[in-house]
Amino acid sequence: MFLRKPKLTPVAVLVLLIVTIGASQTKSPKRYNLRGEVLGKNPATNEVTVKHAAIPGFMPAMTMPFKLKTARAMEELQPGDKIAAVVVVNGDDYWLENIRITDRSGRTSAKPPLPPHLLAVGESVPDLALTNQDGKTIHLHDFAGKAVLLTFIYTRCPMPAFCPRLSSQFAKIHEDLKKTPDDYRKTHLLTVSFDPKYDTAPVLRKYGLAYLDNDPSGFAHWDFASTTPSDLRKLADAFGLEYFEEGSQISHTMNIVLIAPDGTVARYWATEWTAAELEKALREQAAKSDASTQTAAQSR
Amino acid sequence: MSRRVKVALIAGVSAGLAALGGCSWFSPPLSGKAAEGRALFVMHCADCHEGEHPDLHKPPPKLNGLCRSKTLPSGAPATDAQLRKTIIEGRGTMPAFDQRLSEQDVEALVSYLHTLK
Repeated sequence: MFLRKPKLTPVAVLVLLIVTIGASQTKSPKRYNLRGEVLGKNPATNEVTVKHAAIPGFMPAMTMPFKLKTARAMEELQPGDKIAAVVVVNGDDYWLENIRITDRSGRTSAKPPLPPHLLAVGESVPDLALTNQDGKTIHLHDFAGKAVLLTFIYTRCPMPAFCPRLSSQFAKIHEDLKKTPDDYRKTHLLTVSFDPKYDTAPVLRKYGLAYLDNDPSGFAHWDFASTTPSDLRKLADAFGLEYFEEGSQISHTMNIVLIAPDGTVARYWATEWTAAELEKALREQAAKSDASTQTAAQSR
Repeated sequence: MSRRVKVALIAGVSAGLAALGGCSWFSPPLSGKAAEGRALFVMHCADCHEGEHPDLHKPPPKLNGLCRSKTLPSGAPATDAQLRKTIIEGRGTMPAFDQRLSEQDVEALVSYLHTLK
């Protein structure tokens, strides 16, 4: 009796290859336990803003929005609820599952309408006043009708992977946008200092000129601004910026916010981003500017 | 952790690495002000001036042989006064260290910069 050696036909090889590649690309979502308090909810975006305790292995304690997967959860949860839940992280996407309300008593207590919180995508940005590099007062709502890319820095940051990288990549985006006047006109860059005591208008002007290759005309498209400590706190809460003095430096998170032409938050980035990705998203929002200018003007 | 403790810690780590051999700022045996300057350099300057940063608008210059040249990378004369001014006020995209480093720190850094070959 002869045992025949099995043969792999070309079709079988192809099927095997597809199955192997498919299997290697499938990553299972990660799950982390969360405990926190619901500060607000936004049915339009299906997100709840949760002030949560540190999530070991994932992130420190902070206030941020989380997606919900069911309409029932959105209906059930109320601001003031203490919750326990599982954060599911799948690539860039994350959401809450297995949500349990552990304490509902916060619902009945007298609370302000909504405490300062990280704005969810789709929420309107506050019209805070800033002082720019020329000492001129500007407001966030001045940019209505334009797509705005906003970030935070302090001019004395010595960490090349942080503020210098942010400003360098904004400079690249600024230069690229100049090549397409229509997009240049419909966009704006805004760099806000979280060191207002040191980063006065002249300091910000000098800093900005270094990234604009000494061309002050660039300030018409890219403002470098600071604000009062109290308004800075409001901005930080709205956009999730964390910062604190530590020795001779300021420890801080990296936050980039894309504000849509209608004045709402369109998107956030933290550590994982490239200038090309930011620029693409900014141009996409700019394309919506003509349609939204009138709407934004009417709503304010 | 206080700055003094950090400086001492980094100086200790630097000394340990010097014993093993390594980057340019670890190799020469230094003492006194220049040794403290080296610790400060590691803490505040090396990340930019010793690393590669293609993402930065202007790549920070390497500082080897800085004080052996007549001019600094900016073209300004390579004097101690100019070094102090650059460290304190910054230059171009280099951040200012104003109010972040004491006068003694700046002097120690300048001493160390003189040892770079």
